[in-house]
Amino acid sequence: MFTSRLLSKRSINSARRFISTSHEDFDVVIVGGGPAGLALASALGAKQQLESSVKIALVEAGDLSQVQNWSFSSGTFSNRVVSLTNASQAFLKDTGAWDHVEQERTTPIDEMQVWDGISDARITFSASELGVQQGMARLTETLNLQRGLLRHLQSIPAVQIVDKSKVQSITVDETPGSWPLVHLDTGRALKARLLVGADGLNSPVRSFAKIPTYGWSYDTQAIVCTMEHPPKGPFLGPNTTAYQRFLPTGPIAFLPISPTASSLVWSTRPTLATALKACEPSVLGCMINAAFRLPDVSIRYLHDRILEAHKAGKPITDEEIKAEIHWREQSHSIDWTSAYSSVSANTTSSLGVPPSDAEMMPPIVTSIQPGTIASFPLRYNHTETYIGEGQGSRTVLVGDAAHTIHPLAGQGLNLGLGDVECLSSCIQDAVLRGGDIGSYTALLPYTQERYLENHKIMSACDKLHKLYSTSFGPLVQLRSVGLEVLNELDSIKAAIMMSAGSVSREDRPLSYSSDARAAFFDMAAKGVENIGSAAHVAGIVRGGLANLAVTALQNLATAAASSQQEQQRKDTR
Amino acid sequence: MLPTRLLRSSTINANEIAHFSRLSAEWWNERGEFSFLHKMNPVRMQFIREKLIETAYDEQPEEKVNASKVRILEGLDILDVGCGGGLLSESLARLGARTTGIDASESNLAIAQHHASLDSRLSTNLTYKHAPAESLLSQSKRYDVVCSMEVLEHVDHPAMFLKTCAELLKPSGHLFLSTISRTPLSYFLTIFMAEKVLRQVADGTHTFSKYINPSELLEFFQTYPPSTAPGNTLLPWITRLYDGEPTRKEAEVRGLIYNPLSASWILAPRGAWGAAECNYIFWVRKPALDAMSS
Ligand SMILES: Cc1cc2nc3c(=O)[nH]c(=O)nc-3n(C[C@H](O)[C@H](O)[C@H](O)COP(=O)(O)OP(=O)(O)OC[C@H]3O[C@@H](n4cnc5c(N)ncnc54)[C@H](O)[C@@H]3O)c2cc1C
Repeated sequence: MFTSRLLSKRSINSARRFISTSHEDFDVVIVGGGPAGLALASALGAKQQLESSVKIALVEAGDLSQVQNWSFSSGTFSNRVVSLTNASQAFLKDTGAWDHVEQERTTPIDEMQVWDGISDARITFSASELGVQQGMARLTETLNLQRGLLRHLQSIPAVQIVDKSKVQSITVDETPGSWPLVHLDTGRALKARLLVGADGLNSPVRSFAKIPTYGWSYDTQAIVCTMEHPPKGPFLGPNTTAYQRFLPTGPIAFLPISPTASSLVWSTRPTLATALKACEPSVLGCMINAAFRLPDVSIRYLHDRILEAHKAGKPITDEEIKAEIHWREQSHSIDWTSAYSSVSANTTSSLGVPPSDAEMMPPIVTSIQPGTIASFPLRYNHTETYIGEGQGSRTVLVGDAAHTIHPLAGQGLNLGLGDVECLSSCIQDAVLRGGDIGSYTALLPYTQERYLENHKIMSACDKLHKLYSTSFGPLVQLRSVGLEVLNELDSIKAAIMMSAGSVSREDRPLSYSSDARAAFFDMAAKGVENIGSAAHVAGIVRGGLANLAVTALQNLATAAASSQQEQQRKDTR
Repeated sequence: MLPTRLLRSSTINANEIAHFSRLSAEWWNERGEFSFLHKMNPVRMQFIREKLIETAYDEQPEEKVNASKVRILEGLDILDVGCGGGLLSESLARLGARTTGIDASESNLAIAQHHASLDSRLSTNLTYKHAPAESLLSQSKRYDVVCSMEVLEHVDHPAMFLKTCAELLKPSGHLFLSTISRTPLSYFLTIFMAEKVLRQVADGTHTFSKYINPSELLEFFQTYPPSTAPGNTLLPWITRLYDGEPTRKEAEVRGLIYNPLSASWILAPRGAWGAAECNYIFWVRKPALDAMSS
């Protein structure tokens, strides 16, 4: 009755069983000790009533003791930095993990300046405008967060950490309802009532559960590094403004992490990233300063110069690039006293009265911290669902395993933490009702709540990226109109800030799933969509452009206004 | 009988196990014919949990009640009458109850046993028996809680059935029933739509005339135990109704409403108008031993 294929499959299985002679049972096996996996373990572990009913294992290929003992001298910072929204922070405070994150190494973002690389149209968001005290978000090194989560986990006996263990394969009996068995390269085998894939972009759990995923690569690399610069000085206040300029090649972001250090996320063409990484670090520093300041034509010229030199096998030198930038500044008649000048100005001193336009620009980068330059390919990826079915039953995905996005809005991990918060409360609900936490029924509310919410933010970020990565004339014009009108409309700003999750649930006592919040997300996403589709139409029909833009923005404005009124009505009730 | 014994037992051959596991796949296929039951289960459990916590608060000093405890049913003997594939029984056992599931169908029980054997945590306090409820009356064992979910609408002699459930309870025991009202709405939803139009449930699953209304259950327990019985000095389980509603400590009727948008069931708030027009859950409490009429 058995075909030979079946038989051989069986013998493989039994061979495997032979290797791992016995297995251990867990209620939850989390694969992945990245920030999402650790946050889930700590959130579940912090729910004290679950302690005796939910036994948890966290599997990580890497050595987590290195993360737990990680220490950097003050003033130097890891190159992987994330901005955590107030909603994410509130969640981490609730679980108790935030107390273990070293606060001195984090910085609040009080203001955000975002502008267009071609038209220079600019929007400013500020926390005080919105009436939030603690900033719109907080910048922290990923390692600082991971270390905090690990320290929190130390006090939680219900969670067993299984690190330096790579998942080699995952198998399951054919009997429906069986628990998946996770085989580690150490020979251990863990049987899971619920298997959580927090295992990042190339998730082995996702492959096991055969959850389809779709996406694309952006043909973009994000260069990261830690930049040093002089303090802003008494006239400009603390270093708590984030700057982002949308260049046609991708956005460049300047994220403050201390008074004299900031983190770079520069999304650009892979060839340029490679060429820049091959130069001496100070070349990157000069190019960062230029990328925030010079007009797009000059930036394109500089890029070409760097690429040519790279191709010729002689990476451009510090002196050469400075000379080029200096010449460019002169040809654009940028005054050396202006904040737009980087090479010509005397950058070492921050004393005295700053130029009148100083607030428009990030501080001038004077050096790059050694060993911090790296780059990552950028992808858009979203799975079709977050829960496995059939042979892949009892699996669920969180964080980058389920979705990856362009970092331009700094939302990747925040979405992941939103997943974790929702999944941990779904698990708690199911346990309290005697449910089987690996069952589809127990997990369904999780996908229902998270999928659409993630999708909205993801597609908004994707559209923003596509909208800005062009230098096509009419689109730029449209963009500039868009951004300037945006600047006038406080309500829209509020909506966009809301979509960035900058308001914690404490300030606005709404749950993640509440309708009002969803409405804001919806509106913010629609707003971007409107601009996006108007831009798309503009590509086809060149006439009537202004009209289109105005209508799109008017719609957005009325939507924002009415939704805000609705919100106020709810609040006053 | 321990669930795992089924698999080890030499009298049952591999073919049968395969057969049961296929059937089990149906009972436990959460997206198949029984998906409605799967989705209803958490809501039924929510009600059981809330009701037992509520009575605990009524009877014990507040600081003694730990409402957030997972194993809230620890120490209780619970009988699940008509357990089917074991959806409710497993949940009751996970909350700590010594659970006995009984069913008239042998294959249902085999399915339930097989499924429970997949979860090692259930082996200590979950037992299944192939027995009609009446057959348990001759034994001395009585239960703290008797549940019978989606069964009443299928039995031929509801009064007999209710009496059996009632007698199987210890004094102060809890009876939980869920069933369907006999209303135009219920006909439309459970027979016309579910069986005939959408075919979510096999044709012939339900018989409209067997549906029982909440008022009929209330009426039954207003005269139960019957005062005509010789030597009866007991009070009825429901002593009075206000505007047709029982008092919170004697009985309760709560509607179960399906929300097609979120594909989930909602436990309607107490006294929600019209909520029990279709599916509902009913709770009644057996009086304590000392509650005799003088
Ligand atoms: C340049 C850049 C900037 C960003 N900026 C922000 C920002 O400002 N704000 C923000 O919210 N997000 C940001 N993100 C996104 C954020 O970094 C990610 O969303 C986040 O790190 C994902 O965390 P994770 O735990 O889901 O996955 P990961 O961090 O990828 O963790 C997965 C873990 O699984 C482990 N693993 C994988 N396979 C196996 C296996 N077979 N066995 C055992 N273990 C395994 C890996 O070792 C790894 O530790 C940024 C991303 C980039 C690239």
